[in-house]
Amino acid sequence: MKPVMVVSTALARFHLRRYLIGGLLWLPVSVLPLGSGLVLRQLFDDLTTSRLPLLLCAAFVGVELVRGLMIVVAWTYGDYWWIAAATLLRANVLRSILTGRGRVPHSSGEALARMRDDVSDVVEFVDESVPLAGATLFSAAAVAIMASIDPVITLVLVMPTIAIGLLSRRMNRLIRRLHQRARVLGAAVTGYLGEIFGGVLAIKTAGAEEAALERLRRHNRLRREAAVKDRLATDLLSTATDATVEISIGLVLLLAAPAMRRGEFTVGDLVLFTTYVGWLTALPRSIGVILSRMPQAGVSTERLTQMMGPGEDLSRDTGVWFHQEYPAVVHPVHGDPLEVLRARNLTVGYGLHGVDLEIRRNSFTVITGAVGSGKTTLVRALLGLEPLAAGTICWNGRRVADPGRFLVPGRVAYVGQVPRLFSASLRENLLLGRPSEHLGRAVELAAFDRDLAAMPEGLDTEVGSRGVRLSGGQAQRVTAARALVRSPDLLVVDDLSSALDVETERRLWERISGVSTLLVVSHRPAVLARADQIIVLDRGRLVGRGSLDELLQTCPEMRRLWSLSPLDGGSSPERDLSPKVALGNTCNTA
Amino acid sequence: MSTSLTSGRAASGRRVLRSLLPGPGSAVLLALAVTATTALPLAAPQFTRRFVDDATGGAGIHQLTLVALSYLGLTVAGQAARMVTAWLGSRVAWDGTNRLRERLAEHALSLDMAFHGRHTPGEMIERVDGDVIAVADFVVAFLLDVVVSVLLLCGVIVVVFTIDPGIGVVLLAYCVLIGFGMVRAQRLAVPSATRSRAASAALFGYMEERLAGAEDLRANGAGEHAVRRLYQVSAALWRAELRGDTVGSGILAGTSVAFATGTALMLALSGTLSVGTAVLLFQYTLLVRTPFERLIDQLRQYQTALAGMRRIGDLLAEQRTLPVPSTVKDLPETGPLGLEFDAVDFAYDDEPVLKGVTISLAPGETLGLVGRTGSGKTTIARLVARLYDPTAGAVRVGGLDLREIGAASVRRRIGVVTQDVQLFAASVRDNLTLFRPYGDDDRLRAVLVEVGLPDWDLDAQLGKVSAGQAQLLAFARAFLSDPGLVVLDEASSRLDPATERRIEGSMTRLLSGRTGVLIAHRLASLSRVDQIAVVSDGEIIEYGRRQDLLADPASRFTHMLSGVGR
Repeated sequence: MKPVMVVSTALARFHLRRYLIGGLLWLPVSVLPLGSGLVLRQLFDDLTTSRLPLLLCAAFVGVELVRGLMIVVAWTYGDYWWIAAATLLRANVLRSILTGRGRVPHSSGEALARMRDDVSDVVEFVDESVPLAGATLFSAAAVAIMASIDPVITLVLVMPTIAIGLLSRRMNRLIRRLHQRARVLGAAVTGYLGEIFGGVLAIKTAGAEEAALERLRRHNRLRREAAVKDRLATDLLSTATDATVEISIGLVLLLAAPAMRRGEFTVGDLVLFTTYVGWLTALPRSIGVILSRMPQAGVSTERLTQMMGPGEDLSRDTGVWFHQEYPAVVHPVHGDPLEVLRARNLTVGYGLHGVDLEIRRNSFTVITGAVGSGKTTLVRALLGLEPLAAGTICWNGRRVADPGRFLVPGRVAYVGQVPRLFSASLRENLLLGRPSEHLGRAVELAAFDRDLAAMPEGLDTEVGSRGVRLSGGQAQRVTAARALVRSPDLLVVDDLSSALDVETERRLWERISGVSTLLVVSHRPAVLARADQIIVLDRGRLVGRGSLDELLQTCPEMRRLWSLSPLDGGSSPERDLSPKVALGNTCNTA
Repeated sequence: MSTSLTSGRAASGRRVLRSLLPGPGSAVLLALAVTATTALPLAAPQFTRRFVDDATGGAGIHQLTLVALSYLGLTVAGQAARMVTAWLGSRVAWDGTNRLRERLAEHALSLDMAFHGRHTPGEMIERVDGDVIAVADFVVAFLLDVVVSVLLLCGVIVVVFTIDPGIGVVLLAYCVLIGFGMVRAQRLAVPSATRSRAASAALFGYMEERLAGAEDLRANGAGEHAVRRLYQVSAALWRAELRGDTVGSGILAGTSVAFATGTALMLALSGTLSVGTAVLLFQYTLLVRTPFERLIDQLRQYQTALAGMRRIGDLLAEQRTLPVPSTVKDLPETGPLGLEFDAVDFAYDDEPVLKGVTISLAPGETLGLVGRTGSGKTTIARLVARLYDPTAGAVRVGGLDLREIGAASVRRRIGVVTQDVQLFAASVRDNLTLFRPYGDDDRLRAVLVEVGLPDWDLDAQLGKVSAGQAQLLAFARAFLSDPGLVVLDEASSRLDPATERRIEGSMTRLLSGRTGVLIAHRLASLSRVDQIAVVSDGEIIEYGRRQDLLADPASRFTHMLSGVGR
């Protein structure tokens, strides 16, 4: 089965009751016009015999009244299924990106476009099955009624319907191609808008607004061309469908002429035929919509699946949580506290070549090296954020198969280079679903307590979009506190102190070391001097391992970095160097 | 006051509509196509009447065939006209919405950082793109369904008048009644449509931030929590949509029933005429019914569009909080610019951040700002770049109050390198020039070499960049412009010593002949500054020439220096 069909079936089934009842509620809306047609037939036949059929006029209104009621009920009932289905897809993709093997495509604006448009394409495709069922039911009954009046004309009327079905199939590929292009260019505009509003500070401070707009105009022009073509192709199909109604009525007139002259085909019959023909096109129209939506839904399914990892199911039934709360997140306590974490031969395609690493409980390890030497790549590879080309990772001697899912809170917490906060309260940003028991201590450990005390609203302070209302240093310490709330065995920190002043930084390291095992990327002397073990990288290779004074004697790259370092406040390298316990003592100068 | 607010909103609504209007050429073509789309189907029922009356009257089969064939030709032509209208309509609509989107983006970019701090990029996407698309969809629908339907309706009424003036009057009265009812109902529907649109914007704003911060959420094991919140935000959307759709579908159903009543009324009235005429009248009501239903079908989109239009109007009505000077002065085009803070106070939303900051920097001099994070250093930098205006006091650059200087001049002559380098998913060239056309590639390459990124290809897509490399790129941006005043806000914080040393020379060159404000946490990087200001809790607690402070063993600066490294 094609992926789009798998997804569609799952969407129909995840809340079968809502889907079926929703569909059943829509059925009368499609079927009631049968009654209108029969009433009209009688009405016109009565008119021919010069009776004024007031009762039939009232019946005509009555049928419409029932239909109107059904529309309200079916529509409002169907909303639930519609949004639940869209949320199911979104939640599955988001869950895969945030906890599974999924990934965000090159920009978050692009990802958002997929979550918005592609999701609604897929859901609309499945939703279309309801009008299809209604139209099929109506058509079957209508054809039966019409055949009982005049089988030949009925048969001829079915022809254009088939023609429309065939035309739809022919145009599928064209529509698919045009639609995909329009979608891509549309996402380019959305993505670009996200980029310029995400980088609005850079654009404004450089006064580059006009240039940014000019680029928007270019994206806009391309999108317009594609969108107009896309719309034209879709319209061509729907116009062809509409034209069949007209042609059919013309055919009825042509074919019924002899019978009407003979009086075998009444005016009421003619009215019934012309009324039904209008509704009959609902079927080829619905088939046409499904046929043209299917490729679109196929593209959309593909684009959504791309964001997920291999083997993950886009349409897995993970429930609807509109009435009840989504179950509270459980944070399992693992019973295997860190003794030693070993990594061997870590290799990442471009930036890292065969690096070994050993981290013991309660040690302080620092990774250092020049820009582009692979420091960040090393920690990211260790944590499973970069795909490994080679290498093994062992936790307490046992091999870790999927570091991306094993080396996570509970065991490991990671503070990235650029602090990312979310537009919510400080409390929400710190906890992100964790219980608040360690909150106070984490804030203190991360040296954020004084800042917090100065905030009038305390933990309820809104940090603004992406945390803009905090200073760079505050944001970094909030992300550190966020990691510490998770009381990890191992805390991995990528260049935490870069936006901190010297005093705050010292306070932070003083508090943090000893609380947890530390793996830190840094090139700052104060941090290097504190380390039990320093890992020196140069162009993706390990060139030194040991304590600072050992490395200064044995490792040329360390000496080079150290000599270049304009020591904070002019203290000399020798001054703070108390002997540290060395775990390894090698310098593999390449 | 409320009247001025409504009139302001009406004015911005008119502005929105004006951006959407087509040029004269397209308008004429479109009018022709719309006329054909209306007139052709209007003529068709005349042939059916002829057919019925002829058939029941016993006309020849040849005659009947001819009438039926004419009907066929006419309706096919009608569909073709409709197709052309659709094509022209979507072109015109896209032109209009592109113009509108560009206007909105332009306006939003001109708003100051206080505005952007309150709105996520995801929300901005929804407002500049989502709302505009809702309006675009509606404009196409409006041209195709609303205009054609209304014209058709008028046509039908005129034709019915010629058949039977009495029935014509009833029909006219009836249409007016339905039209009035629809307008009233639509007013009822707009608030709930606005609410569901806001709920949708909240949902997409939420998702954008989570997708952009995916790695942080992963690393903190907060994925499930984020999914949990997604359900909460989606449930809120469902509740909003439910309310909106109850109103929307109620209106649809109500109109439909009212319409059937009208049809029944027409039939009851036409019972005294010939059957052919009865069929004709019935067909006309059918003819009106289809576009009428389309029209109401569009009502939902119309509501969304109207809500979108209102939100667009609100965005356009959003005022810059940084007033544009009445008489614009420009900074001198070349040379270093002096900087002066004169008893400057500043508050974010009534929360005081700076108090009585006074600084005076001669052209060409460099000031170092030191202090704990959150003490207000970055705010001082943002005031220098006029991202905000002081709440009291004045910031003067080159002797002029910043509030009197034209924005373009400020951007050109004051350069800023921030601590968070904002990168774009675009080429290296675009990231360097920020999308500005820059003829001289050699100069761009030279700048990249100068900051230590010699291997970068200008036309390559900017790939994964380490924070250090991002800082280098930010430096390259600063080199490219020729500012007279440079603000470096922790600009070199993410560089390792080796790399920092590499660009030290070029940094000195950047500062030479220019006035500079340096914020650095590493006191060592302040060796080149002339003045030092120590900032604490929004106040300058120590201020002086660097060598004077160094010479004074009691100064805080000396204290900070000696406190380092232990």
